[in-house]
Amino acid sequence: MRAAASLGRKFRAIFSAQLANMVAYRAELIIWMLSGTLSFIMMAIWISQARAAGGEIGGFTEARFASYFTGTWVTGQLLVVWVAWELDVQIRLGNLSPKLLRPLDPLWEHLSNHLGDRLVRAPFIALLACLPLLLVPGAGFTTDPRVYAAYLLVVALGLLIRFLIEYCIGLLCFWTESATSFSEISWLVYAALGGVFAPLQLYPEALRRVARLTPFPYMVNLPATMLAGDAAWGDVGRGVLVLLGWAAALGTLRLVMWRLGLRRYGAVGA
Amino acid sequence: MTTPHDAALRVRGLTKHYVVHEKEPGLLGSLKSFVNRRSRTVEAVRGVNLDLARGEMVGFLGPNGAGKTTTLKMLSGLLHPTSGEVDVLGFEPRRRHADFLRSITLVMGQKQQLLWDLPALDSFLVNQAIYEIDDADFKRTMREYDEVLDLSGILRKQVRKLSLGERMKCELAAALLHRPRVLFLDEPTIGLDVNMQVRIREFVREYNRREDATVILTSHYMADVTALCERIVVIDAGRVVFDGDLGALVERSSPYKTVKLQLASPASTERLARHGEVVSHDGLGVELNMPRAEVGERAARLLTDLDVADLTVEDPPIETVIGRLFGAERAPEHA
Repeated sequence: MRAAASLGRKFRAIFSAQLANMVAYRAELIIWMLSGTLSFIMMAIWISQARAAGGEIGGFTEARFASYFTGTWVTGQLLVVWVAWELDVQIRLGNLSPKLLRPLDPLWEHLSNHLGDRLVRAPFIALLACLPLLLVPGAGFTTDPRVYAAYLLVVALGLLIRFLIEYCIGLLCFWTESATSFSEISWLVYAALGGVFAPLQLYPEALRRVARLTPFPYMVNLPATMLAGDAAWGDVGRGVLVLLGWAAALGTLRLVMWRLGLRRYGAVGA
Repeated sequence: MTTPHDAALRVRGLTKHYVVHEKEPGLLGSLKSFVNRRSRTVEAVRGVNLDLARGEMVGFLGPNGAGKTTTLKMLSGLLHPTSGEVDVLGFEPRRRHADFLRSITLVMGQKQQLLWDLPALDSFLVNQAIYEIDDADFKRTMREYDEVLDLSGILRKQVRKLSLGERMKCELAAALLHRPRVLFLDEPTIGLDVNMQVRIREFVREYNRREDATVILTSHYMADVTALCERIVVIDAGRVVFDGDLGALVERSSPYKTVKLQLASPASTERLARHGEVVSHDGLGVELNMPRAEVGERAARLLTDLDVADLTVEDPPIETVIGRLFGAERAPEHA
């Protein structure tokens, strides 16, 4: 209990500093947000396809496509993770050393850095998400507050899993020259199996089965469907359980990789 | 492994081997390396033994690539040794136990721990939380450090807008905020002007006196070492080649002293050479080397033989002594 309280105090101090850091970079952050418009491009493509097909594809109307892809954009913004890039630089250039000298796992600083970003990013996400919903007739998000509460839980778990996956990828730098190329592949798999390019409901059954073996559909497709008001509570409950399992497994993997990796750390230049 | 009460650090047979990949320069070299990557093992540290008592300040000297920093990294737990035993305050550094990390610090003149875009005070507050320093202790420590380092005017400035000297003062204070008992200082004054070097040295000396802290210092500025450390450990090619007091080092590596003369009237070089080896002879200014054991006798004879206006006897500069030591240690390997 005392250990948890102590960790809480440390985390609060790091979080305040990282939040201040993110506020200092708010202009860059907005530009970075604007560069992540893949969901809106996919939305335009699928809406035009639905129009050409007579108004809908696989039960998805123009309005439903707009709601779904706005949901994937909002969720994607909340799941942005760059920790692999940071670890890559820190391990290769030896910048990890000052952090290793402190009695606190550097993971907490990285995590607070991402959470600080989310807090600064949130108002801009809310503002930008309104645009497609206003522009496409019939599009919109659910008005059920319980869904939003469940959405926050699912997205929090999704962020934790994405963070842990990218953390493990960053730790590969203990064994390889650079880990960022793995991060690119990881994003592609996350986007393809998560439903960033198309709603998973439109995927062939075989591919859907493969996707369900990974955490990605529960990280993007599920929360986006929840915002669009199309998710069943049973799917949400199952999704939360799956995400908890993946979080535990990846948390363990991260710890093992961290301990093994530190034995190989070269502390280059410092 | 146990540590006696007055011992802060004990090292036995410490080694560190690295595997480094090698590639010839240019496109062809890149292609060859792609097909057949070559690597070799570098023995950075080879069987280092070291004992330090509590409160002791030791200068760790050696040329670039000698293994000084690698040794410090192993002593602070950043690097896992290939073999050997390390005990710092009863801890095995590589395990990075929280109590160990709370008892040591490693200041690296070329690396920073301060948050770049925020005022330095924010980094101090983060360290206060991480090291669980209560408010009263934090304020007292900040007051003490401010007295010596004059921090108050710079703590609220963004770190990236501080000068190198200002930043180094903040780095040092941040690294010592938790009052560590063992300090590993790796080039703490690098790039600083002379005034700032003196200020940092005074701070380290004062910290050592107040806290009875053990200090290992590496520096390319010999003035840092001569001002702070009575004991010198010289490391070369991964091995300790000297461990003793500064005076003994000078005696061992430099069996002569330099006598500087200002003559009242000119004398020929041949006449001067009767008293010692003539290092320089420029008009009335003369520099002679004399065997250390005979300096008194020879200087007295010289004063009766020559018309001397001024005479000083000096040890050779420590840089020369160290350079000579490295030369002597390497000679048999090259022979």
